[in-house]
Amino acid sequence: MNTSVLACWHCGEPLQAGAAVHAHIAGESRTLCCHGCRAAAEWIEQLGLADYYRLRTQPGEKPNGASDSSDCDAWLRPELARHVVRKLDANQREVLLLISAIRCAGCVWLIERSLTALRGVTSVRVNAASRRARVVWREDEVSLAQLLQLLARVGFRALPLDAQGLDDARHSESRDALKRLVVAGFGMMQAMMYATAVYLGSVDSLDPSSQALLRWLQFLVAIPVVFYSAQPFFRGARNSLRARQLGMDVPIAFAIAAVFAASIIDTLSGRGEVYFDSISMFVFLLLGSRYLELRARHRASDLTDALARLTPPFADRRLEDGQLERVSIHELHSGDCVHIAEGGIVPADGELLSARCRVDEALLSGESSTAGKQRGDRLIAGSILEDGPVQLRVERVGADTTLSAIASLVERAQAERPRLARASERATARFVARVLAVAAITIVGWCSVDPARAFPAAVAVLVVSCPCAFALAVTAAMTRALATLAHRGVLVVRPDALEALTEVTHVVFDKTGTLTQSSLTLADIETFDGFDRDEALQLAASLARHSRHPLARVLAAQSVTTLGVCDVVAHPGLGISGSLGTRNLRLGRGDFALPLRRLSSHYADAIVLADDAGPIAAFHLREQLRADASAGLDALRQQGLRTFIASGDAHTKVATIGARLGVDEWRARLLPAHKLAWLSELRAGGARVLAVGDGVNDAPVLAGADVSIAMAEGAELAHASSDIVLVSGRLTSIAVAREIAQRTLAVVQQNQRWALIYNFTAVPLAALGFVPPWLAAIGMSLSSLGVVLNALRIGRSDAASRVNKPAARALTRHAESV
Amino acid sequence: MNALTFLIPLALLIVVGAIALFFWAVDHGQFEDMETPGLLPLDDSPDKQGKRE
Repeated sequence: MNTSVLACWHCGEPLQAGAAVHAHIAGESRTLCCHGCRAAAEWIEQLGLADYYRLRTQPGEKPNGASDSSDCDAWLRPELARHVVRKLDANQREVLLLISAIRCAGCVWLIERSLTALRGVTSVRVNAASRRARVVWREDEVSLAQLLQLLARVGFRALPLDAQGLDDARHSESRDALKRLVVAGFGMMQAMMYATAVYLGSVDSLDPSSQALLRWLQFLVAIPVVFYSAQPFFRGARNSLRARQLGMDVPIAFAIAAVFAASIIDTLSGRGEVYFDSISMFVFLLLGSRYLELRARHRASDLTDALARLTPPFADRRLEDGQLERVSIHELHSGDCVHIAEGGIVPADGELLSARCRVDEALLSGESSTAGKQRGDRLIAGSILEDGPVQLRVERVGADTTLSAIASLVERAQAERPRLARASERATARFVARVLAVAAITIVGWCSVDPARAFPAAVAVLVVSCPCAFALAVTAAMTRALATLAHRGVLVVRPDALEALTEVTHVVFDKTGTLTQSSLTLADIETFDGFDRDEALQLAASLARHSRHPLARVLAAQSVTTLGVCDVVAHPGLGISGSLGTRNLRLGRGDFALPLRRLSSHYADAIVLADDAGPIAAFHLREQLRADASAGLDALRQQGLRTFIASGDAHTKVATIGARLGVDEWRARLLPAHKLAWLSELRAGGARVLAVGDGVNDAPVLAGADVSIAMAEGAELAHASSDIVLVSGRLTSIAVAREIAQRTLAVVQQNQRWALIYNFTAVPLAALGFVPPWLAAIGMSLSSLGVVLNALRIGRSDAASRVNKPAARALTRHAESV
Repeated sequence: MNALTFLIPLALLIVVGAIALFFWAVDHGQFEDMETPGLLPLDDSPDKQGKRE
């Protein structure tokens, strides 16, 4: 009952007292948290799409207008649009959009309906699983920017993907796999049918010519299975042999080729057994488990790919009149002057024009230390600005740059194989070597006893041994875990983090933007010496827009017109300084803005603006705890973890929040260096530390912990230096992620144990000749199928209970509205 | 035996036909998205003359 009163009708966020707005939607009065949500809700109603609220099972995304619309307009530029739009004919255009917040059926419905309602849009196809929408429109009636703006108004942030994304390589991979699987399936059924006839025939003494016919028919249906469906195994074996390694495909390829060749010889000679049905089944079941694994992998990469691509490929070019123009990085030319904000990514290689700055070149060098740069030094594209803003003269662009940040982020996320998976690859190679050795020994052994049984026994060894169970034991569980987490809005950037997450004993939270909401409200402005409030606000906003700190963003949003402040330097944890003409302005903590004067404790948590003459104004900001902060911390404590708060903020504010959340310990007024020192102190005491932060200020802290989690609203820097990114913004997800990580490790262990037990019993039996080939094929395939199915259990049991909750809530709301 | 000479080619023909049909379906994206179509029947809005494919 309370949820509908205390939470926003559109986005589900808790309402702030006094700030709520009301609107009439579908004949009912609804309470909404802000005008943005009201506009979105009213507009959805106007389009006749109010059914969205009935269909959805997750609250909508809170629309944030200002920054998005400038991003949308940038897509009007033909130079930029060229990279993402595909021309179907003279007038028709197609684009693939990555939509960040598709959460439920309602979202799919809303996107389709609202885009289709737009004049000029000819086709919309939304894929809820991969969060992509394919839109076709007529260029003369509507533009890409309009499409994006429309989605932004409804609350979806859409990012056009590269035109290459339209012909996704994964599409053909998955189509191929499906076709091979089905061909193998049909082949298996046919071969088994004829095989049954032969088996029964040998009892009822079928005449030899019919027997020969049935054998030839089996051979016929097995041809496509071996030469088409089994191709991936042969290709994999060839590749791994060429790389002088023993992959899991090697014994499989050997077994298929050997059994097929032997069966052909038997068919020709008309004597002995044929095993076409066994190979077909072997190939089909193996392809089946591979296909399940491929689906899980695609799902996972759909979403991690999205994370990397969300970094906008824009740069701010400074024009001759000093204004900034947002352009794509493809449009930069050498000699251009670009502006880079604090926490931003350097868009091109170039020379530093500002006095000094610090950059993190970890993406390029692999060392996560920051380097100080002086005027005239070279900055490398893809490195991240720790403080700033700075001006840069572009020297090399595009493919000439040392690396683009986006490409390296994608590579880093994809190329890095988790430690567990590397270990299992080595184990697989050793295992395959031993299986081949055992097969050789079997042949030699049987030759001295009974040469006729040597070949079937060796084949049985090759077939029954299951390197797939070893190779898939880890990867299947990992990909499934990554996909499950991604679906909950938890993107794992560094796969090793999953293992580390299970070992965590202490959790250190940053406060601002992590435990509290990143958006604050300006509660009060206090001016000194009769300064004008609006003028003070304008000065503060002009300075603040150069920083990405959450507090600065609130101030920056307060004033529409800004003044050209230069020599801006951000002092992490303290504030920001700059000069306007001859006036030196400082904005930040009281003791930073006015180093020589002591302000009364009333200003302890205010942001103070001052110049050389003295204080100008104090801004009192109010922050709000995230709705699920206390639930999230409770869940962590239930798992036996200790919770801490490390904040750069004032004592009183941290104390209040610390007491409300019941954390074990909190420390206030910490600079990044202090936070780092505290972390190392905890780690020295034997603790495994998880750091949760949001943005620029705590990037070094995130890097200094055993595992780090960043909230997605943070600047690009946080994405780069954290192991896990919380896109959902829900703190409760941390406990869920840890549960899933623990479950994953348990499944990995079960899988490995199963693979070990199975192989240790099956291989000796096969070598001794107790296992006929058909039984070997079944045992091996079921073993690897079992491993994959076990991995697919991850996230299944609790998924049901958790997904139903929002659905139930939506139903309650619906019931109330009727 | 006469029955076999007729039925076996027929069975093979049906299998080939089924595979061809399946390949056609895969190539036309019928298996690309197994989730969204399940959600579409929920859409009971009055204007059904869709521009959707």
